[in-house]
Amino acid sequence: MSTPGDPGNPGDPGTPDVPGGPRSDSRPRRAGGRPGPGARGASDHEAFAFRDNVEMEQRELAAGEAPTPSAARGGRRISWQKWTFMPAFLFFVLLATWLWFRGAQLDSIAHQAVDDGKVWLALRQHIVLTAVSTFFVLVIAIPLGIALTRSRLRRATPFAMALANLGQAVPALGLLILLVIWLGIGARSAIVGMVIYAVLPVLANTIAGLRGIDPTLTEAARGIGMSPTGVLGKVELPLAVPLILAGVRTALVLNVGTATLATFGGGGGLGDLISAGIVTQRMPVLVLGSVLTVVLALLVEWLASLAELLLRPRGLEVAV
Amino acid sequence: MSFWEYVGTRHAQLLTDAYQHASAVFQCMVIATLLGVFLGVVTYRSEWAGSLATTTTATVLTIPSLALIGLLIPIVGLGVAPTVIALTLYGLLPVVRNAIVGLRGVDPALVDAAKGIGMSRAARLFRVELPLAWPPILTGIRVATQMLMGIAAIAAFASGPGLGNEIFRGIASLGSANSLNQVLAGTVGIAVLALLFDAAYVLIGRLTISRGIRA
Repeated sequence: MSTPGDPGNPGDPGTPDVPGGPRSDSRPRRAGGRPGPGARGASDHEAFAFRDNVEMEQRELAAGEAPTPSAARGGRRISWQKWTFMPAFLFFVLLATWLWFRGAQLDSIAHQAVDDGKVWLALRQHIVLTAVSTFFVLVIAIPLGIALTRSRLRRATPFAMALANLGQAVPALGLLILLVIWLGIGARSAIVGMVIYAVLPVLANTIAGLRGIDPTLTEAARGIGMSPTGVLGKVELPLAVPLILAGVRTALVLNVGTATLATFGGGGGLGDLISAGIVTQRMPVLVLGSVLTVVLALLVEWLASLAELLLRPRGLEVAV
Repeated sequence: MSFWEYVGTRHAQLLTDAYQHASAVFQCMVIATLLGVFLGVVTYRSEWAGSLATTTTATVLTIPSLALIGLLIPIVGLGVAPTVIALTLYGLLPVVRNAIVGLRGVDPALVDAAKGIGMSRAARLFRVELPLAWPPILTGIRVATQMLMGIAAIAAFASGPGLGNEIFRGIASLGSANSLNQVLAGTVGIAVLALLFDAAYVLIGRLTISRGIRA
């Protein structure tokens, strides 16, 4: 498998010994579908995902990070199709739902659940809940992740990782309601619960990203006389950006989902429509709430994956 | 009433809920594993089908569980049906993805060698590729199980089985003397179940991962 050093070798671009040639004999399956450099990058990524899963047994990597390779792999070639497909699909779903909802028979109970701008209010509340909690998650998790990988605190890292894994065992619903009982009904408890719930995966992602950096690179940076801050800012963080961005995406997606549970603690959001629909057995309300939630979640995920592709440092792209 | 008194007086109810919770998650996980490994086996050879399977299951995972359950209720009604469908769908993604990654990660030289000693395609799959891909698949199953534990709690809102009912009973009586105990019992119960399952998977890993590739 190629080392990170060899693709970035601009000094001799015309050398004939492209690794695609000899490799295609030994690995017919890999080399079949893809051009040389792309194949190399993809197999490297796959190897990473594989090793992380087995050795570190880290659920965040398996659950949150692994879409990155496929996104990175397909990113450049199918990007515009992928980028236009999702908004078009979501627009179509919204249109269909709207047309259906206009024609649906609403009685007074259903009207009560959706009239007076209640749908917009729920949507706005949902977005605010997601945005605020994601902001706090990032503000807490990324600096903490950086701190936990510094040499002074490195001993605490396994402990934090174990805690992160343990924390995932606690159901989001239970955590949220316990906080509501403790802090009182309202959006504040919901946000606190969402932050606690999403901090752990993002923290684990940041730590894994910073720890996964090739130590020879940081050593080289120190060797040319960079300060610890310089090494962090100029080498470690840029290299960890993809994993951190994957963490951001994980946090956003998790929070959009957890925000639906805020309704059980009086926190508002689109969960209000869903639970009103279930409790009063008014299917139009239930479907409207569910569809809006799904569309919002997919839209957020799509925007986050877009950001992930755009913000990825150019130096990390294999097919330059 | 203190928490322990509450658990003491309601242990029959709690154990029933816990058993139903565990059994729902376990059964859905078995379906998800079979389906997920099957999808992985079918799609891993093709770049296109593999990424389609991963993208589709990832999209399902993005959908908030309450919304998916909400969309299932008009179709299949309340109760066990939406719970089982939702849990199985959510359980698929980690298994499918890790199966694809695991199967693609098998050294082609080994598959070639198996072909060379005359193994059929099925034998290669079952005796070489799947045993080698089993550790990541098992990790996927662990991840999925952990996730399903929490989603099953939410499914109780659609009259599904399990410890989520305990939490929702607490929500319904928010402010009353026992609401904290109810929510706490449900939450802690689910967390304990999740950790027990995790321990079981470590044991299963010890027993089932081929001795040749054990670290």
